[in-house]
Amino acid sequence: MAEKFDNLEEHLEKFIENIRQLGIIVSDFQPSSQAVLNQKLNFMISGLQDIDKCQKQLHDINVPLEVFEYIDQGRNPQLYTKECLERALARNEQVKGKIDTMTKFKSLLISELSKVFPEEMAKYKDIRGEDGPS
Amino acid sequence: MTEMFSTLFGQNEAQGPPGSSSLGFGPGKPPPPIPQNQVSMAAQMPPQLVDEGPALRKSGAMNEPFYLLRELPVGNELTGNTNLITHYNLEHAYNKFCGKKVKEKLSNFLPELPGMIDCPGTQDGSSLRSLIDKPPVCGNSFSPLTGASLTGFRLHTGPLPEQYRLMHIQPPKKKSKHKHKHHRPQDPLPQETPSDSEHYPQKEIKHLCNESDKYKYIILTVNEDDKSKKNRHSPDHPGLAGSQPSSNSLR
Repeated sequence: MAEKFDNLEEHLEKFIENIRQLGIIVSDFQPSSQAVLNQKLNFMISGLQDIDKCQKQLHDINVPLEVFEYIDQGRNPQLYTKECLERALARNEQVKGKIDTMTKFKSLLISELSKVFPEEMAKYKDIRGEDGPS
Repeated sequence: MTEMFSTLFGQNEAQGPPGSSSLGFGPGKPPPPIPQNQVSMAAQMPPQLVDEGPALRKSGAMNEPFYLLRELPVGNELTGNTNLITHYNLEHAYNKFCGKKVKEKLSNFLPELPGMIDCPGTQDGSSLRSLIDKPPVCGNSFSPLTGASLTGFRLHTGPLPEQYRLMHIQPPKKKSKHKHKHHRPQDPLPQETPSDSEHYPQKEIKHLCNESDKYKYIILTVNEDDKSKKNRHSPDHPGLAGSQPSSNSLR
């Protein structure tokens, strides 16, 4: 999987470098640079062809839209990954706390009900015993 | 109290809808399925109930004497009780992103990308959101430019106007406060031509050749305070044709 990303990355780097060199040529143009400029323009088109060929390998890749927000703001997209992991962990801990609390409540409720309604709770435990109480 | 509790749990589903005036129940009617809200209504009205005795209990739910006892839901192996980071083998990723400080700027993620990439994309119309909102025309083939097409790319000699000149310039990276911006002793500085010093006294062209990457990086730094450059940037001005150092042309 990393190979197709490496391939695309390589093509993109070459394309960007070509564009950058094109910009430098244009920034202070000389008549002798015309042939080089034409060559760079055709390199740009062939670079676009190469990048277009890469899309077949990457058609199953999904990018979250929230990452685009980070990039548009000039922020590091790794911050999105970091915040996702932190949110997942926080939510995991929150749910675990709820599960633990509900488990304690259940055991406490059963013990108190057993004190008040011993016969009924005995029947309940017999029924639940078949189902395997959690 | 125990009697009332048992009575409450002993009632069958033969009760009518809550809006009905007849909240009583006949002993011989088959128990229709009762929705949850009606059960809660029954639980709230114990004083009005009549103890129908064991007859109703027999026709109640299968789990006697418990009326509301349902089957336990199918247990899911993966719950919040499990550390999902460990479960999905994301410990390395977590330590990598959350263990150490991740730099804020986009240029820290893409250090080799030229241009001012830390600026918001909305300022210069290069945002990815605009690409999603207005997707470009796709499906056309890319064909190389022919000789006739390339005639449109014949440019005027000379430098660009001021407003277009700064497009590919990166802000100088501050490595150390003590180092001067324009002076990097480790980089070889080509000698400036006399014409350069006359028109661009503070212009430096530095060549950084990184053999491992097979690319040549050229950083152009221009002093923006030099107002004398304004009149020399029009395409019609003879400008500095032939007076620029040959290092500008790239292979």
